[in-house]
Amino acid sequence: MDTLLSLLHGFTVAFEPAKLLFCLIGVFLGTAVGVLPGIGPALTVALLLPVTFKLDPGGSLIMFAGIYYGGMYGGSTTAILLNAPGESASLATALEGSKMAKAGRGGPALATSAIGSFVAGLIATIGLAFLAPWLVEVAVKFGPWDYFALMIVAFVTVSATFGDSPLRGLTSLFLGIALGLIGIDKLTGQARLTFGVPELLNGVEVTTLAVGLFAVGEAFYVASKRFRDPEEIIPIKGSLWMTKEDWKRSWAPWLRGTAFGFPIGALPAGGAEVPTFLSYSTEKKLCKYPGEFGKGAIEGVAGPEAANNASAAGTLVPLLTLGLPTSATAAIMLAGFQQYGLNPGPLLFAEKPDLVWGLIASLFIANVMLVILNLPLVGLWVRLLAIPQPWLYAGILVFATMGTLAVNGSPVELTMLFAFGFIGYLMRRYDYPVAPMVVGLILGPMAEAQLRRALQISLGDPMILLENPISATLLGIAFIALVAPFVMKGLNRFKASED
Amino acid sequence: MLTSFLKRGAITAVAFAALSTAAFAQVNELKIMAPAAPGGGWDGTARSMQQALTGAGIVKSVQVNNVTGAGGTIGLAQLIGAKGQGDQLMVNGFVMVGAILLNKSPVNLSQTTPIARLTAEAEVIVVPTESPLKTAKDLAEKLKADPAKVTWAGGSAGGTDHILAALFAQAVGADAKKINYIPFSGGGEALAAMLGGRVTAGVSGYGEFEGQIKAGKLRVLAVSSGKRLENAPDAPTLKEQGIDLELLNWRSVVAPPGLSAEQTKALIDTVEKMVKSKEWQEILKARGWDDSYLAGAEFDSFLKNEIERVSKVMHEVGLVK
Amino acid sequence: MTNDIRAQGADKPALIVGVLLLVVAFLVGYDAAQQTIVATYGLGPTAMPYVVACGLVILGFSHFVVAFRGGLPKPEAADGKALLWIAAGLVCLIGCIALGGGFVIAIALLFACTARGMGRRAFAVDLAIGFVLGLAIFLAFAKLLTLILPSGPLERLFL
Repeated sequence: MDTLLSLLHGFTVAFEPAKLLFCLIGVFLGTAVGVLPGIGPALTVALLLPVTFKLDPGGSLIMFAGIYYGGMYGGSTTAILLNAPGESASLATALEGSKMAKAGRGGPALATSAIGSFVAGLIATIGLAFLAPWLVEVAVKFGPWDYFALMIVAFVTVSATFGDSPLRGLTSLFLGIALGLIGIDKLTGQARLTFGVPELLNGVEVTTLAVGLFAVGEAFYVASKRFRDPEEIIPIKGSLWMTKEDWKRSWAPWLRGTAFGFPIGALPAGGAEVPTFLSYSTEKKLCKYPGEFGKGAIEGVAGPEAANNASAAGTLVPLLTLGLPTSATAAIMLAGFQQYGLNPGPLLFAEKPDLVWGLIASLFIANVMLVILNLPLVGLWVRLLAIPQPWLYAGILVFATMGTLAVNGSPVELTMLFAFGFIGYLMRRYDYPVAPMVVGLILGPMAEAQLRRALQISLGDPMILLENPISATLLGIAFIALVAPFVMKGLNRFKASED
Repeated sequence: MLTSFLKRGAITAVAFAALSTAAFAQVNELKIMAPAAPGGGWDGTARSMQQALTGAGIVKSVQVNNVTGAGGTIGLAQLIGAKGQGDQLMVNGFVMVGAILLNKSPVNLSQTTPIARLTAEAEVIVVPTESPLKTAKDLAEKLKADPAKVTWAGGSAGGTDHILAALFAQAVGADAKKINYIPFSGGGEALAAMLGGRVTAGVSGYGEFEGQIKAGKLRVLAVSSGKRLENAPDAPTLKEQGIDLELLNWRSVVAPPGLSAEQTKALIDTVEKMVKSKEWQEILKARGWDDSYLAGAEFDSFLKNEIERVSKVMHEVGLVK
Repeated sequence: MTNDIRAQGADKPALIVGVLLLVVAFLVGYDAAQQTIVATYGLGPTAMPYVVACGLVILGFSHFVVAFRGGLPKPEAADGKALLWIAAGLVCLIGCIALGGGFVIAIALLFACTARGMGRRAFAVDLAIGFVLGLAIFLAFAKLLTLILPSGPLERLFL
């Protein structure tokens, strides 16, 4: 009851016209900048931090909230329309989303992602308001072994969903993991696979690989078969909006995505990638039209997008209750808090209830504004695809390189982008799935670091993975997920031979 | 557009004139390089300098550019390449000293023209409140008994936190090579490991742990500065507890090599004016940075000293061979 | 072009991928073998590379098997000219940035080359479009976000 009253009070703070204006500005700026691939919500907030310097604390934090959520909406727009996932969390969205866009269903894809984000944001923000203190107790209990087990679950479930050739899927995945080895080893500070090139010390940027394989690779591929088999992009086919059928197929993935995103996002090292992958593979398993996956199934957009947004709200749980910045954006928001001498943490709720509840209330408002802002834009965005193909793809390449240039414009980085683009083309040509490579690059280093931390704490005893209930359970799930398909196949064969 | 074009040209011309004669100790145009991606700590310092320098009207135009990679050593190499250019500064800090060694960088800080140290932050060694360790001495005893059993949580390998842990082990007579230091990505994760009771002790900048310390979830065993901190007067220093160790995570600015005495002086004057400005002081307060201005020859010898100390400990820990 | 190789019994692309995988595996393993610094506790920095190298070796040999059993999916012939145009656009971009030619010219070249590769025959017009686009992006980044994209002589006029 207390929480509810505080929240209502928060709304009275956030509903001041000036605050609403800040929120609107934030949402708008966030969307505009978030659309650029490679410039995610974290960088957007960092760059706009000086702008908010002159506002009062409440106003500027509310603007942050708008920028944060706006940046994520923008990211999914690029992923769907241009097949350029500008941040690792929108990778899963790009998989089905871009296929939908090419088939003239960009409208419903953008709509399901906007509404899914809204639903997920709403539920997760409610979760933030009511469950935060309890959830955070559980979250800090997660040790490195538990994270490692979680990564393994993600690995196993995701690799089960890629393509029809396990050999080609695994090849792509392993090459991604190998790419993840490049750079400074997090635990000992040693350079691995850098061959004396200093630019490689920072490792392969996920966005460089994703944009290279997806956007640049696609451009090569489409150009290469222009004469024989010209690709047809249909801006709009059927309804621009979601049909009744689309709604029916979207609502459950939204909820499931939220269920993955919010708790994992609240884990200090959970992140947004793992829940989006888990959501994607779950939807693929549960989908009533499995044949559509890979050709543009709406469930594959609805679920991961919801997971992505819910995890964003999840990261606010440790930030507000413990002062733990668990993502790049959260770290920047922490800097924002500190610029007003505020220290998020256990005392913040007690000391500055106006501010905290005002912020939470403005998250609700930012969400509503984003839907209102984005749904009318859907029609406009989709028309981008009506641009003549040469200009469209030229524009996509400009867009794709721009993000790389802004963040790290070294010739080495650009050469990598080019090389990944060409590899992406070759992989498409010989029907290797490209997504597992990016998944390997994201999950590989995380899993390695967590495993090594676990073994460092246990002084090398691997039993630590099985002695802890959470990690043991997760590893059990991973094992079942790995073995179940083979057992099922065996049973079927057995039955068949009986007949 | 044409007028702006002419204006730019005029300013550039003036700047060139100023540089070529180097008669007045005045800098009209300044480029500040942040050798890291936008959004990071060094980038924050560079952009704050830009804000203060233009805000206080000390320099007409300040440009910040980011050169990403390899713990800042790629930016460093670029700065060293810009020999003799008196309109450039690069932000750097304690972390870069270690990164140069760790990355086997072909260039190093002693090749630059040191300008000034700007800010510094004290490090703290903390334990969860439930921990039986009450003082730095207790930690030292435990460390001497079995270094493997003392797990340290902190930032990246070879960073400030790691070096403090190693120096601590050395100072108390434990085997620095045997410390069980676990690098976490970002302060948040290390903090979570502390709160979850996964590790024995944590090392980080004071600011990062402040909230938890004030809320009583973490206990400070020691601060690494020479004096007690203003906002944490109860936390004892290492020296008070008989451990001869002092370490600050500082940030500074350096300039390209090969500058004339006038050029160097002009840059130092500019930075000094900025440090004294109301604008800079406000930024320091807002960001929670401590002023630790130190310029010229004093900064030069301070820097040399730090390089020597870090290099020694990194060899001893086995981070560098 | 891949079709005539089928006659010899082995699928050439699959063999090449297999060899490449072994090369990558060798590089990863060799690099790990060169590491001098080990972890004091738990797993060192070489454990993961060795696991990855082993996996790549297995995948490489699996490709050899596949090469003799049907091979990889047979692709259609590709339009090499189109590929070259886009590649040229990217090379121009990298060269222009590396040599300090600046963002705007680099983007103009990339835009025009890609459009040419996708079948347009108005290089000069596209160059102009790319130029305006690049300039607009550069100014938006510089003025609104205070992010300076790679600058050449041209960009400096606007800063």
